[in-house]
Amino acid sequence: MYLTQEEERIYDGEYGWANQICMKILVRLGELFNATRLIPISSAHVAGVSYKTLGDAPAEFLQALAKADGKAKVRATLNPQSFDPEYLSRRLPKGICEKQLNILKQFEKMGFTRSLTCTPYYLEKPKRDSHLAWAESSAVVYANSVLGAWTNREGGPSALAAAIIGKTPDYGMHRAENRQPNILVDVKTSLRNESEFGALGIYLGKILEDKIPVIQGLNDVSEVKLKQLGAALATTGMVNMFYYKNTNIKANGIEKINVEAEDIKRTIENLPTASTEPDLVFVGCPHCSLNEIKQIANLIGNKKIRDDVEFWVCTSRYIKKKARKHVEKIEESGGHVLADTCAVVTWTDKLGIKIIMTNSAKTAYYAPTLNKAKTILAPLKKCLKTVLKG
Amino acid sequence: MKYITLKGRTIVQGCCKAEALVSTMPISFLGGVDPTNGKIIEKNHDLHGECVKDKALCFSHGHGSTVGSYMLYSLAKKNLAPKAIVNQTADPVVVVGAIIADIPMVDQVDIKRIKTGDIVEVDAYAGIIRILKTRES
Repeated sequence: MYLTQEEERIYDGEYGWANQICMKILVRLGELFNATRLIPISSAHVAGVSYKTLGDAPAEFLQALAKADGKAKVRATLNPQSFDPEYLSRRLPKGICEKQLNILKQFEKMGFTRSLTCTPYYLEKPKRDSHLAWAESSAVVYANSVLGAWTNREGGPSALAAAIIGKTPDYGMHRAENRQPNILVDVKTSLRNESEFGALGIYLGKILEDKIPVIQGLNDVSEVKLKQLGAALATTGMVNMFYYKNTNIKANGIEKINVEAEDIKRTIENLPTASTEPDLVFVGCPHCSLNEIKQIANLIGNKKIRDDVEFWVCTSRYIKKKARKHVEKIEESGGHVLADTCAVVTWTDKLGIKIIMTNSAKTAYYAPTLNKAKTILAPLKKCLKTVLKG
Repeated sequence: MKYITLKGRTIVQGCCKAEALVSTMPISFLGGVDPTNGKIIEKNHDLHGECVKDKALCFSHGHGSTVGSYMLYSLAKKNLAPKAIVNQTADPVVVVGAIIADIPMVDQVDIKRIKTGDIVEVDAYAGIIRILKTRES
């Protein structure tokens, strides 16, 4: 791998341990995947922020890095943490909240933005054809497929190293030849709602491995539907990108598969579904957009949330502020709009939650292991029907 | 005396002598290794119950969450980390872990030729593993 003189000096430790270790990470990974050089990135997004998923080990490394003056060179955002300071922090043990705050403190010391969201693209949309180093698989698929930016699916540590160096090795999705579609997926059924788009993702992720599909026959390509599809694709597979428009794509001579209504139905049935009433109805995986929050507020209207079921709408603090009018309406009805966190990265089990209803196929897939909860996958309208009185 | 020499590729430089602990299976450092004592706790793993501390840990490759990289750092800070890592095929989780924990690492090694209990020299400058003493001898 070619390094500039400046990069070599960083590698040799002239700019301190933090920069050296980050440069080593990038160079070794680059060599592993046959990169030729480092390229500048316009932003980095780091996953692995929640103390629930991280545990104690990373705090030590982050602390060492921050102490050695590691500083982000580019815009660097963070994935959700394990609680929100307004609601969940009061219901969780104080000790674990302190450990979470220490992790956050280290990131902030290094110049990371306290975005605490899995949808950093709602805060600042990356430019088309810009190079990024993003972790958080749902955001990676969305950035590559919907926004037209270029990013590999980074791990927590490699995104962190890229943030501090401001560069990433030029392998994988950073090269045009690796962004060509290699399988044609023909969806032969009309998907009725966002949960069925998620189910399509769960189904395809399992069979596509790391292929890049052209998905034809989608009856709705609104951003919310594509967000659910992409998040689910990345949940069960190593898919980093999909195409959904037919323009300018040569799909001749590549493998072709069909998806029938039966495949979607079976996928939903195979998710570990509970048959009883939920304790929690959760919307916001990935984090809600302004439009989604507006839609939820409108659907609630003047109705009230049932007293025996919790209703969580999760989003970024940035969107929560922007949607203040709608947030007030949801909270007046008895629901909770939680910023900085989500059901998957907090300790729902410590709150006594055993059954989660959600419109997100990704959450329905992960919650049984990550939250020790049973799940029910249902579209937004059904989620609201379940949680509203009357 | 002629030692068996296996050639691989250097990932992290360093040199050490250690007892080999060999698995044919991948290892996940997040959830698969107990961070308080370095023991492998992954269910149905062929090294279940074995401790990685001070061993030349030989396995096919890593798997699972990228948080696993930080686990290697944490093990190293508590003196519970392996002395060296030898992989069939290096993967990003273990590579990053070995870099930040400063554990000598070599990959592209035919690990089937190494047996648990062998005394090996891992020369991760040259990318060479020498089997100094086999368990039987």
